[in-house]
Amino acid sequence: MARLDGLAGRLREIVGAESVITDPAELRTYDCDGLTYHRATPGIVVLPDTAEQIAAIVRACAADGVPYVARGSGTGLSGGALPRTDGVLIVTSRMRRVLAVDAANQRAIVEPGVINLDVTRAARPYGYYFAPDPSSQQVCSIGGNVAENSGGAHCLKYGFTVNHVLACEVVTPDGEIVELAEGPGYDLLGAFVGSEGTLGITTKVTVRLTRLPETVQTLLAGFDTIERAGEAVSAIIAAGVVPAAIEMMDALSIEAAEAAVRCGYPPGAGAVLIVELDGPASEVDAQFARVKELCGEAFEIRVAADDTERGLIWRGRKSAFAAVGRISPDYIVQDGVIPRTTLPEVLARIDALAREHGVRVANVFHAGDGNLHPLVLFDGAEPGAGERAEEVSGRIIDLCIEHGGSITGEHGVGIDKAKYMPRMFTDEDLDTMQMVRCAFDPAGLCNPGKVYPTPRLCGEVPGRRTGVHPLVESGKADLF
Amino acid sequence: MEVVDALAKACEVRPGEAGDAVQGATPAYVAAPAAVAEAAALMGTAAEHGLTVVPRGAGTKMHWGAPPDRCDLLVDTRRLGRIVEHAAGDLVVKTEAGLALDDLRGVLAGAGQQLALDLLPPGGTVGGVLATGVAGPRRLLYGSARDLLIGITVVRADGVVAHAGGKVVKNVAGYDLGKLFTGSYGTLGLIVEAAFRLHPLPRAAAYVSATAAGPGQALQMAQALLHSTLVPAAIEVDGPGPITVAALFEGVPDGVAPRAEAARSLIGGRIGDAPPGWWGRLPDGEVLAEVRALPTALPDLFAELPDGRARIRGSAGRGVWHVALPADGAGDALTRLRRHGTAVALAAPAGVRLDRWGPIPALPLMRRVKDQFDPGHRLAPGRFAGGI
Amino acid sequence: MEEFRELLDDCVHCGFCLPTCPTYVLWGEEMDSPRGRIHLMDQLERGGPLTASTVEHFDRCLGCMACVTACPSGVRYDRLIEMTRARVEDDHPRSRGERLLREAIFAVFPYPRRLRALRGPLRAYRRLNLDLAPLLERLSPTLAAMERLTPPPARHVRLPERVAARGERRAVVGMLTGCVQREFFPGVNSATARVLAMEGCDVVIPKGQGCCGALSLHTGRDEEARAFARATIEAFADVDVVVVNAAGCGSAMKDYGAVFAGDQEWAGRAAELSAKTRDLAEFLAELGPRATRHPLELAVAYHDACHLAHAQGVRAQPRRLLGGIPGLEVREVADPEICCGSAGVYNLLRPEAAGELGERKARNVTATGADLLVAANPGCTLQITTALHRRGEHIPVAHTAEVLDASIRGIGKESFISRR
Repeated sequence: MARLDGLAGRLREIVGAESVITDPAELRTYDCDGLTYHRATPGIVVLPDTAEQIAAIVRACAADGVPYVARGSGTGLSGGALPRTDGVLIVTSRMRRVLAVDAANQRAIVEPGVINLDVTRAARPYGYYFAPDPSSQQVCSIGGNVAENSGGAHCLKYGFTVNHVLACEVVTPDGEIVELAEGPGYDLLGAFVGSEGTLGITTKVTVRLTRLPETVQTLLAGFDTIERAGEAVSAIIAAGVVPAAIEMMDALSIEAAEAAVRCGYPPGAGAVLIVELDGPASEVDAQFARVKELCGEAFEIRVAADDTERGLIWRGRKSAFAAVGRISPDYIVQDGVIPRTTLPEVLARIDALAREHGVRVANVFHAGDGNLHPLVLFDGAEPGAGERAEEVSGRIIDLCIEHGGSITGEHGVGIDKAKYMPRMFTDEDLDTMQMVRCAFDPAGLCNPGKVYPTPRLCGEVPGRRTGVHPLVESGKADLF
Repeated sequence: MEVVDALAKACEVRPGEAGDAVQGATPAYVAAPAAVAEAAALMGTAAEHGLTVVPRGAGTKMHWGAPPDRCDLLVDTRRLGRIVEHAAGDLVVKTEAGLALDDLRGVLAGAGQQLALDLLPPGGTVGGVLATGVAGPRRLLYGSARDLLIGITVVRADGVVAHAGGKVVKNVAGYDLGKLFTGSYGTLGLIVEAAFRLHPLPRAAAYVSATAAGPGQALQMAQALLHSTLVPAAIEVDGPGPITVAALFEGVPDGVAPRAEAARSLIGGRIGDAPPGWWGRLPDGEVLAEVRALPTALPDLFAELPDGRARIRGSAGRGVWHVALPADGAGDALTRLRRHGTAVALAAPAGVRLDRWGPIPALPLMRRVKDQFDPGHRLAPGRFAGGI
Repeated sequence: MEEFRELLDDCVHCGFCLPTCPTYVLWGEEMDSPRGRIHLMDQLERGGPLTASTVEHFDRCLGCMACVTACPSGVRYDRLIEMTRARVEDDHPRSRGERLLREAIFAVFPYPRRLRALRGPLRAYRRLNLDLAPLLERLSPTLAAMERLTPPPARHVRLPERVAARGERRAVVGMLTGCVQREFFPGVNSATARVLAMEGCDVVIPKGQGCCGALSLHTGRDEEARAFARATIEAFADVDVVVVNAAGCGSAMKDYGAVFAGDQEWAGRAAELSAKTRDLAEFLAELGPRATRHPLELAVAYHDACHLAHAQGVRAQPRRLLGGIPGLEVREVADPEICCGSAGVYNLLRPEAAGELGERKARNVTATGADLLVAANPGCTLQITTALHRRGEHIPVAHTAEVLDASIRGIGKESFISRR
């Protein structure tokens, strides 16, 4: 660690002593993001205030061949911001200024540490909001959203972060500050958004703002069974309606949400559906009536009368992940995607898997776009329970791939799902993707070990390769 | 073995003719693979023989981009024309790259669905639209090709087939090569398949168009529509002489009528079922440029135009316009337009000297991307930004 | 520490607490967030060392409990930090200066009589009209903070032991007079007693009552807190309801049950007291209005005291009570969940951080453009008034009880505001 000691000194010169953390207990508080399953205590944590500081930090790391990882609010669910014990964790939580709101041009310029919901708060007085709304929107940062290409409940209609980012100022692994935007040349912005912090660190983001809709209508429908709820989803889509969101929760996740936030969902429901329509009143009114008809199999339909009631409906859904902590000591969140039409079949298979392995699975999902979030519950204190849960979780991913879906819809691959990438993509696919990595980061120092299970050798590479990742050491990931 | 024989092992091939020339560069060979495997074999053979390769779909935009430095092999993709899968219930379609978009439109319409991309100029293929990244009026609501593309299959310069994305809309596994390839003009690899998210066909549509007294008023009208809650699918401007602002509303019949009426109360003019004649067409001129700037820069752009034969047309909502310029003085006009944003000359007559691309902030990174994907610089060499 | 382990394990590390935590808002550091502090507690519980830096991060916590409100997993951070603070006080030797400071604060604040004794010198000092602030700032930021926070001395009010209900009696309630409230804001106590009486309550004000122990409890002075609590339990043994007008006191009293859990002798009585404790606004809302409200043409910014909103979940009731006054408009303060920096004795122990938070709160209060700020905790009132003063602004401040009292008595806007 002598190398890191020297580096810490240089980092203090860059950002000041109070912004460099080397105290062991303090470092340990950064050992994981929202996914606690993987932990690694960073060698150094640094809290920069400016893009220039980040560029200098990256250059200092590059000079010493030290890997570095960027982190925003630390809420990611794939271990994308898992630090390196032999590296530097660059935390953007102090870069949280909303630099400009340009409503006339429907955009805002923000620093990476700005909280997602704060963009909306800044835009709302102008009649605008930031559309991507991951469930963690009250805490997750825009920099993290850019890294993960975050979605959210409303991406069914409005798309993902990548569809709402107009430009990013980026510190490249060379330590240069460049502006990536639509314009002449390759769409590097499109490649950068969602690259999970492996191509550089964003230091300023220009986001698109979306006009607040004239009307929002939200209903909560309680169904006896999850199958009936699923049929209603298919019927709505088949009718040519594009809701802002269609969310589904099963009985177990309803129980958790109820315990956490007392959201008052219909008692005894086997599944609830949240359907939200937004837009011009004349459109929404017509379509909403149709949606209510299509939810005819529901035993109870509630329509939110105002923002407070809408808030309560959504509160249950948005708190569901964390709320599961109320009914189970430990759990694994999955993030698989399937073609929507295979929903009933896949859910039945998940149910069978759970029974076969004697674990409970709570299902929370973005039903409109087939993005499943099965929560595999277990008690880590019980011997073998963690392994069984991990097994079920992996089998669910296989189910998604088997049905033509994806291993991740919005949480990202990170460290957690890198091992599944070869199940979804061929070696050639992964090799090709990593050509982009080699172009940006030939030395492989920028968030190494994430997304791809096997790093591509980038040819004649300046700099040197560094120590073994802790996960490789502990046998959780392979490297050769 | 002759090169042509080697190529013929991969797929149908013939010698190039004058009519195949890409901006003056006549290819030695024209090959037409009919399957992804054939395309892969073809590209592999081209790599072995060090051939430069330029892809071509329907050929409607071959005059866009810079002329290639060399073109040994022209790959005609039109035999890659199948719809691989149309999952109507999932609102997803996967096609081969050579499929004509008009043909695709017909098939999707049968299921009450659409790929929400406006085709300009008409007649293009899936691959061509992706390679040029062109989009029309409805980019305001639906985005452009990059936003609708959910999966892509490419054949690399070395003949290796690679996929990215998939056939589900929501998917963040791996780098988004689809976006990287969109607008890359064939310089990174050969696009052979693409998957898109679809939208339901709207049951009703209405256009509202009005004439503005000048650029300032055109901006006011566009802004009034943009900041309304009427959710126009497109806000287009066309001018000068006169300047017209027009908007498209899509939805259910009961919804569209009052929205169009409300729009007319904002900008005046008239409501119609059909678009104005210029809608969704590229403006005519010797030099065609794509200009991106803040939507509020519209009057500034008009002010930078040379008198007379220049024309601006495009999305006043998104701030992306096509500008037609006379060849004489086009370079100066582009320089002036670049004060307000970016301006790329898509097409220019041979012999007109101008800086097609303007400043490219991340050019060194782009060159490194090119070096990774095409280390021999054999794919559409010289066609792209910065001489890539 | 079986219970401690279980409480720790409830945290799933989701981070929802971060943006509501005042110190995270200030410094953006993980170990100064609830999630980070729980991580530090976890390290301790697993046998890690209690280092000076770890203690520092626990000390920096304001105990505002905004994180408890924000937490979807139901983590009892309030219990965790209380238990941790008790351990810190037991195991961590503090420096002489720090020790003296804490002793000094706790030798004065919980004792109304000593507080009153201090008022004499303060009055003299004010009469000298010397600005000692710069000197104090250099000597000790804490003393400077104390000086800044001390309100102009108020005339002492002696309340009778029993105030009879006006009209038909609807309830008999005990009333806590508190320490800071009683000495610095005696008007709040008299207003509380009057409003209760006018709403038809017999108000019992036991003479023997002292400090409820809130300040000690929230600072890890466990034994001291228990002693105060026992005395409070005894003082109110004979009433069915105890109405409290200071948010910090109410929240502590509602916690007695948990504090004494496992204490054979006191557990039952403590739980009983917790069960019958009500915040004034909570109680009045349950009771329903009977006395006539006279108009008060005022725009009022309502400040959520942490120990009311987060610790007791009382948010809607005070707004409803104020909104029920004809002519009165309630305005929301931006970022209502973020603490003003008062936090018990925090503004004395951590004056710099408290000052920054006070400044943020003052800015948001000013932005409402309200005529009056209403806060239901004496600490908040002192803190925000000071911060406003530092910005060169003045907005009159009142307790909910005083506004209700003015309305019921028909004092009118001008005369009500001019007295503040």
